[in-house]
Amino acid sequence: MSSPDRNSGGTKFERSISYLLGAGVVTSLILIAVGILLFFFQFGNLAVSEKKSMFLQEKNFFIFLYDLFRDGPSQGMALWVMTLGIAVLILTPYARVFLSVFYFLRERDFKFSFITLLVLVILTLSLATH
Amino acid sequence: MLSMVSLLFLSIPVGFLGALTGLGGASILIPILVFLGIPVKEAIACGMASIIATSSGSASLYVREKIANVRVAMFLEMFTTVGAIAGATITTFISPTLLYFFFAAFLATSFLKSKRTVSESTASPEWPDRLSRWLNLRGSYFDEAYQRTIEYKVSHPLLGGAGMLLAGLAAGMLGIGAGAFKVTVQENILKLPPKVSSTTSNFIIGMTALAGTSVYLYSGLLNLTLMGPMAVGTTLGAVLGGRVLNKLRNRTLRILFFTIVFFLIVQMVYKGVNSL
Repeated sequence: MSSPDRNSGGTKFERSISYLLGAGVVTSLILIAVGILLFFFQFGNLAVSEKKSMFLQEKNFFIFLYDLFRDGPSQGMALWVMTLGIAVLILTPYARVFLSVFYFLRERDFKFSFITLLVLVILTLSLATH
Repeated sequence: MLSMVSLLFLSIPVGFLGALTGLGGASILIPILVFLGIPVKEAIACGMASIIATSSGSASLYVREKIANVRVAMFLEMFTTVGAIAGATITTFISPTLLYFFFAAFLATSFLKSKRTVSESTASPEWPDRLSRWLNLRGSYFDEAYQRTIEYKVSHPLLGGAGMLLAGLAAGMLGIGAGAFKVTVQENILKLPPKVSSTTSNFIIGMTALAGTSVYLYSGLLNLTLMGPMAVGTTLGAVLGGRVLNKLRNRTLRILFFTIVFFLIVQMVYKGVNSL
């Protein structure tokens, strides 16, 4: 921990987390916004739709991610870009746990390495098995 | 029919109010979507996904100020993620009617938090707990309002963890951040100072939402045309809300909070009774 009498800036670890979260969210929201714009050009309207094709298909996240790149924009660019935005969004906090595990291991703080690793395992299992 | 543009522009003031009142954008938006005819489970699933953006976006701003306690957040995330996965799984199975009533009931619990018991200066000074000492769950931050460094130590981490498991369960089930509930647990059981509590809770909410979203993705409840505009709008609104929060008077915020929660409860109960 760095000196506690100065809040601004934070430690290097806190700054990296801050950049990671910020970059992830901004990237994701830009992709979604561009996707919405493309949607208008592709479909000629911007209706919130209950069509089956508007729903992300029922699969676990890793297969979802793999298919996203394997299939490419087969359903049209608009939905693909929006889906990409959602994928980046889901990856943002996930990457944050990875970063934390790495940080605590490097700091040789094994108690917290274990705790963050456990959170990583819980999330990975849930993303992989659901 | 609801358009993505109107949903986006609706989500901005909702995210703004969500940040001001501490309810979070999704708690306000889900009853509105239900009112507009969106199936409740779909609204919940998309609310959960949009929370990842709102929470991570504002955590990115807070964590730099070194008020949020990242270690305490990581410890509590063990509990909230498990709770959220269980909660989201329950939602995919149970009847929508029950969800309306659970939603209303959970909103009602947020009235409890209106009395603050912990003051910044009286955070527990000694180590009352072995686990807390073993994990070195403590922290300090510089408080602008008091112009001094506040040191604190975490008490009853396991009981707090149990409370967070419950918070995660409610969050996952209802597609919301359950921020008010988390803050109540952190202030009253873990004895975190209020500012540390609200920023740390924000940090945890993103991870909890990810856990819930993993279930909803697999259940095929995530509608791109719904959650896209929701995520963009509520996040923009929340960032704006965070900017003006400190400028508003507590009394104004409290009246706003009670009015909004009241209408949300009425709406969900009405919907629930109608679907019986």
